[in-house]
Amino acid sequence: MKVSLFITCLCDAVYPRVGEAMAKVLARCGVEAEFPAVQTCCGQPAFNSGYWPEAAASAETLLEAFHDSDFVVAPSGSCCGMIHHYYPKLFENDPEKRERAERLAEKTYEFTQFLVNVLDIEDLGAVFPHKVTYHPSCHGSRLLGVREEPMKLLSGVRGLELVPLPHAEDCCGFGGTFAVKMSDISGAMVMEKTDHVLETEAEVLTGLDMGCLMNISGHLRYRGGPVRVMHLAELLEDGMAAAERPTMAGSERLGGDRL
Amino acid sequence: MSGTVRRSAGGSGVVRGSVKERARIALKDDFLRGAVRYTTEKLRGGRKAAALEQGRWEEWRERGRSIRLHTIAHLDYYLKQFADNARAGGAHVHFAASGADAVRITMDIARSAGARTVVKSKSMLSEEVHINEALEAAGIESVETDLGEYIIQLAGEAPSHIIIPAIHKNRAQIAELLSKEAGAQLPPDTKALAGFARRRLREKFLSADIGMTGCNFAVAETGSIVVFENEGNARMVSTVPRIHIALMGMERIVPTWEDLEVMATLLPRSATGQKLTVYMSGITGPRREGDGDGPEEMHVIIVDNGRSLQLGDPEFQDLLHCIRCGACLNACPVYRHIGGHAYGSTYSGPIGAVLTPALNRNVAEWDDIANASSLCGACWEACPVKIPLHDMLVYLRRKKVERGRKNTWEAAAMKGFRVVMSNRKRLEAALALARIGQIPLVRDGAIRAKIGPLKGWTAYRHAPSLAARPFRASWEELRRGLAQTAAPKKAEALQKLERFARSRQPEGRDSH
Amino acid sequence: MTTSDREQWLERLYRQSLQDEAAFLQNIARRLGRAEPLADPPRHPFRGAPDFWREHSLSAEDNIALFMANWTGAGGHAIRLPDLRAAGQYVADLARERGARSLVCQNEPELLLWRLDEALPDHDVLVWAADRPGRLEAAAKADIGVVMAEYAAAHTGSIVVTSSPDKGRSVSLLPDVLVAVVPVERLHTKMGDFLGRFAEMARERMPAGIHFISGPSRSADIENDLTIGVHGPGVVHALLVG
Repeated sequence: MKVSLFITCLCDAVYPRVGEAMAKVLARCGVEAEFPAVQTCCGQPAFNSGYWPEAAASAETLLEAFHDSDFVVAPSGSCCGMIHHYYPKLFENDPEKRERAERLAEKTYEFTQFLVNVLDIEDLGAVFPHKVTYHPSCHGSRLLGVREEPMKLLSGVRGLELVPLPHAEDCCGFGGTFAVKMSDISGAMVMEKTDHVLETEAEVLTGLDMGCLMNISGHLRYRGGPVRVMHLAELLEDGMAAAERPTMAGSERLGGDRL
Repeated sequence: MSGTVRRSAGGSGVVRGSVKERARIALKDDFLRGAVRYTTEKLRGGRKAAALEQGRWEEWRERGRSIRLHTIAHLDYYLKQFADNARAGGAHVHFAASGADAVRITMDIARSAGARTVVKSKSMLSEEVHINEALEAAGIESVETDLGEYIIQLAGEAPSHIIIPAIHKNRAQIAELLSKEAGAQLPPDTKALAGFARRRLREKFLSADIGMTGCNFAVAETGSIVVFENEGNARMVSTVPRIHIALMGMERIVPTWEDLEVMATLLPRSATGQKLTVYMSGITGPRREGDGDGPEEMHVIIVDNGRSLQLGDPEFQDLLHCIRCGACLNACPVYRHIGGHAYGSTYSGPIGAVLTPALNRNVAEWDDIANASSLCGACWEACPVKIPLHDMLVYLRRKKVERGRKNTWEAAAMKGFRVVMSNRKRLEAALALARIGQIPLVRDGAIRAKIGPLKGWTAYRHAPSLAARPFRASWEELRRGLAQTAAPKKAEALQKLERFARSRQPEGRDSH
Repeated sequence: MTTSDREQWLERLYRQSLQDEAAFLQNIARRLGRAEPLADPPRHPFRGAPDFWREHSLSAEDNIALFMANWTGAGGHAIRLPDLRAAGQYVADLARERGARSLVCQNEPELLLWRLDEALPDHDVLVWAADRPGRLEAAAKADIGVVMAEYAAAHTGSIVVTSSPDKGRSVSLLPDVLVAVVPVERLHTKMGDFLGRFAEMARERMPAGIHFISGPSRSADIENDLTIGVHGPGVVHALLVG
């Protein structure tokens, strides 16, 4: 069984720690994944802006990278959503590529989907004694239907206090190029989201998409907020590593995030 | 307020300037933002509660979608059935290919009847075709009787929300407007203001020559138009004046009264959270022989105005399923922040962002309306008939690019994107270059500089710097460690994966 | 324009509309991939409400309780009365309590039986008459309008009245107060239980107006502040009889 990592361009270039954390968590569950370096980007930035040939050129690297994988796992609901929801449309005029795209969609899973639905794991034995709030990214929850899986994983983490995020389902304002093209509106949206995050008084904000988390943490830094922002893979990896170490209660150091 | 859309907005209904500029103005208006937020919160909470209370909402949505899909796919049949039955019921049925035709027919009816006053109930279509401007130009008084529409008519503004048109106005502003009309100072008290409107409009109802309504649904089976409302003014204007004109979008057809039950279940709950609007009226023709009230003459004007352009287009045909409930407006985070006027045309919110470019033949007027969305999909989730508005916004953006209306900076960036992303070696080289290029900008691991394309981001956020080593550069090292980590549970995991892979392909198709 | 001028003009308009219709439908048919507009009724497999809803039915008592809860929830007054006589008494009492000067009733035998003009000698009690001059103004001036509901639906808390020579639409619309008498045998669980009847009506019996009423007139257009009684009756009483 070939399990391949679809790292996403954002994690590749800016947040490699997230990719590493995901790979490590999978390994701890007995899955030795591989990384086909041919992959570049799912093409979403170009696709969402209406530049479909450019998007297809990028998407083709994924078709190639994963053509003989049995499972493809990505730390992003948004990128998986792109594959599932839009690849068949993107390649609708090319029957051969469309067929490959549909095959790819059938075997691509967002990280928590893979853990919970494929590996049937909800309790990773992780320890993370902190107050955490969770932001469900739009594409992950609405396009992919990922809602229960992260909740199940979080509820299995010892010591973790999950605080509900008010109006969690509201978009954070990232939307890819929207954040730059309609920056005032995006700014208003991320301000509102950040207000809600701060309301929870959580120590850590977690989620499934670095696009969203980069957006919110960028605004948090701008405002000077103390909340740590971690992808769920990082949180779980930290928690699993902590479980292995002999600990002193309450002294767990939070995994740092640069931004 | 300079961001406000005035009513006489020109033939196509789209205001000059860009969404971005109007949004910036709206974002500075604290009252507007508070009012829009309060209203949309209330309405979307209402929708969620009503859906829960009704139960099995997803099945209702699917049924609603099926009925709309079937109807639009057979629109030629049902429109004819409707027209035949409406005429048999005594109504005059007219077909207006364009908004201008709808206006022309209305003016013909009004002039030939010697009408001096028209009383109108709420109709987005009448705003779309700018009927009031035409009536006023002909010296015919046209009075909006829906309280919110009455208020904004006095203010000379366009509606800012499909269901609650005057949410951008506060009590004091409304008191001022109505006081001017009353010729006396009215207190900024809802009861007093509504009381004045009731009295004043009552006079108009009883003396008007023509009553004009919209049409929420038109039942083909019996040629009946159905109007949903809470105030009673639509009943008034379709009962008291001698002539009743109903403006109907051609897509408003519903095949049977049975199907109407589904729409009556979906529409009010999605719009405001009500089980049913206070009044739901099925009107079939003018008064019957012997009736003591009701109009003597009834006209139904069926309007196309760009709707038929969507037929046969698999990407946009579903747009005609819309039942104008406004649920997408209430769900949309962009709408919540900028309100309706920032969209710059008759229809706002997610439905407006797609409908306006789709109905208007003039590509130049598309503006950047389709860009005012983060594609979060909340609209699709809220839509009672499951219109994929979030997908349609992407299709519009693609169409704009295909027609050569691209932003030059963006087009260049996308060219670069293609070059870099189509080949991993080029990506790796580009990343290496960028890591060097960012050095002067990075401080404490973040980029704060507000220059060039970054400006939009860094105006509100710090930007992260590129990692010292991308994931792909450290993969080899990582991979070696993983083998050891995976060893203990490897067999167990393999079993699970194999089992799952088998269940995925029940016919035993080759997994490669 | 004289009447006959107008009739001629309407006739011209009619012929023009037939031409416009043909072009309109042809355009739609073509775009839907048809050479000609579809003439045969298409199969409509997903007609009406989902099956589970068609089967949904409450007992008579539950229907009454649900109707009253919904009507009251919308701001109306609902009361259960044993018979029509009690209903007539209720209306007379209401008129006196409210200091109402005039009432207008549909010309329905059940309402005429009350002999309200005798019960309220100092009040104007008008029975709707299609040919009486000034009937609209009278209805507008009336304090209370009284109707018999023809149907009612518990699920949405709605009553239904239709128009006819004896039943003016104005009666349920123009006065400040509406009283609707709802014989419980006319109360159904949901509107789907009787909507089909409207389709069955032959053209001659199809009323010009079929009106669902689910509470008092209302608006929240001023700063989201709810106000009752904007154009239609602001006070509505449903009398469930039987």
